[in-house]
Amino acid sequence: MLPLEHLQTIVARSVLAMEPTIAANLLTAGKADPLARLRIYQNNTRSSLTAVLMAVFPVTVRLVDERFFRYAASEFIRRHPPAESRLARYGAGFPRFLKSIDTLSDMPIVAETARLEWAIAEALDAVSLPPRSLGDCENIELGTSPDILVQPSLRLIVSHWSILSVWSAHQQGAAVDRHSAWARRAERVVLWRAGDSIRLVQLDRANFAFLHSLKHGLGLEHATGRALALDPAFDLVSALVRLFGNGLVTNVRAAANSHSNSWRQS
Amino acid sequence: MSIFSPLAIPASAGIGLRSPHIAEMLTRRPSAGWLEVHAENYMGDGAGVEALEKLRQIYPLSVHGVGLSLGSAGGLDRDHLERLRKVCERFQPDLVSEHLAWSVADGAYLNDLLPLRYDEEALAIVARNVETLQDTLKRRVLIENLSAYLAFTDSSMNEAEFLAALVERTGCGLLLDVNNVQVSAHNLQYDAKAFIDALPEEAIGEIHLAGHATNQVGSDTVLIDDHGSRVPPVVWALYQHAIDRLGPRPTLIEWDTDVPVLDVLLGEAMWADMLTASIMFTRKQAARREQTTNARAAPICLSVEGETTTSMPVLAAFAAARAARPSISLALRSLEEEFHAAA
Repeated sequence: MLPLEHLQTIVARSVLAMEPTIAANLLTAGKADPLARLRIYQNNTRSSLTAVLMAVFPVTVRLVDERFFRYAASEFIRRHPPAESRLARYGAGFPRFLKSIDTLSDMPIVAETARLEWAIAEALDAVSLPPRSLGDCENIELGTSPDILVQPSLRLIVSHWSILSVWSAHQQGAAVDRHSAWARRAERVVLWRAGDSIRLVQLDRANFAFLHSLKHGLGLEHATGRALALDPAFDLVSALVRLFGNGLVTNVRAAANSHSNSWRQS
Repeated sequence: MSIFSPLAIPASAGIGLRSPHIAEMLTRRPSAGWLEVHAENYMGDGAGVEALEKLRQIYPLSVHGVGLSLGSAGGLDRDHLERLRKVCERFQPDLVSEHLAWSVADGAYLNDLLPLRYDEEALAIVARNVETLQDTLKRRVLIENLSAYLAFTDSSMNEAEFLAALVERTGCGLLLDVNNVQVSAHNLQYDAKAFIDALPEEAIGEIHLAGHATNQVGSDTVLIDDHGSRVPPVVWALYQHAIDRLGPRPTLIEWDTDVPVLDVLLGEAMWADMLTASIMFTRKQAARREQTTNARAAPICLSVEGETTTSMPVLAAFAAARAARPSISLALRSLEEEFHAAA
């Protein structure tokens, strides 16, 4: 008799495969055909995981139509089933998988839109911390290059394609012509969780670089330097007002060991 | 971390907390007995988690795990166990439960509950997993029977015997899902009442009630556990059989797919409470009759037997009539956005 672990491996592979691979004589189901009953498990797994993917990537579903999405999902599930039982994390690899599908190679907007939708899913699952206001920072000793900590749900995406325009068009419920709505136009998108919804904003290169530096903990001075290098007209004051106004700042403090200080010491 | 007052789950009906109902639960605060949530939905930090903290202040809570895979021969996913521990620590539930099933094997999570081959090897494996779980959570956990479409030819015992042995070995409790008993008994052709009678009654800490679907595959009529409809008469009858034997127990109305308006769930819960009250009343009458020689009063009997019953409990019917409007589509989360063009 097979050890239980071996038996479970065989059953798991049968459930994920299109065809059952398990020997029928290992199974029983009253008077019914056990391999037919195995199909119930196959259907349950495939359709429940497909439902998860459709819920995470609703605009992508509309871009390719539901039948194709279900086919792509089915292939993805077979090759990359969830590695853990936390389904909130399932789908991270789906945008990359879409990119690898031959028939989608003339519609790069699809995989890129899926990337945006995955970032939205991550942001929705992230914690929303109480924001700091500009007033909160008045009496704090900030030093020469303070650290600004931003909301954990903040996500930044650059795409060569007009992902935010496409995504927004589908939100309004308008009937969008799949082929004329998207363009090869770089879009830099920033998004974060506010309550139980998501806010998405398109930024220019300098403002995007500014936020990107802050998110990666590089400090206010470094972030400002990067932004100015991309656009000498970068307006730091407006950027800070918007940052605080949007509730994106969770803490401001003097840098523990700022870059410029350590340079002077050496 | 919030400190919640320990709210005990009463031996009466509660409802599963579903995301389409969260806003209404928060504003309306209906008398729902108690709430049960799926642990996996509260392992992140999204808005639903914040809502549960508020609801936990009002309602006793049960945490029901789905993805731990206690039946996996490969052992427990330690990260998932830790996530479950954190959920219990954060929300301080009065009851915690999981399934006698496996869903993880060969590095994959199948998102379904598969049955075990019931034998000594499996018993040793599951007992070890249950002990690890109870040691980690520092509490007794209730283990639920599953809906089966298949069994293994080399099993040396049945699911009820396995559960009884598991209770004896680990001191765990049981979650009796009456709908699952009906589904499995039909699909694998055994007696549903005998299954319930074979379970150690003092271990049963909770009961689940739900609906199921019927599929025709050739000549095979198979019951599908979709938890997507009202509790059907045959399951109410089994419930009555269980309560008759066990007395009142915490009873959960489970409805996971095609979730209806909140009032329908509350109606089902009310029906479960009325059935239990009627059974206990009948019992008291019978006990009194044994003591006295003259018994005149005819008890109020809400008997639920076979095909002669009304198929829709009255209260649930009122709720459905009030709610007769286009069905609300199930959205896993509400998503609004504002689009600001950069200056």
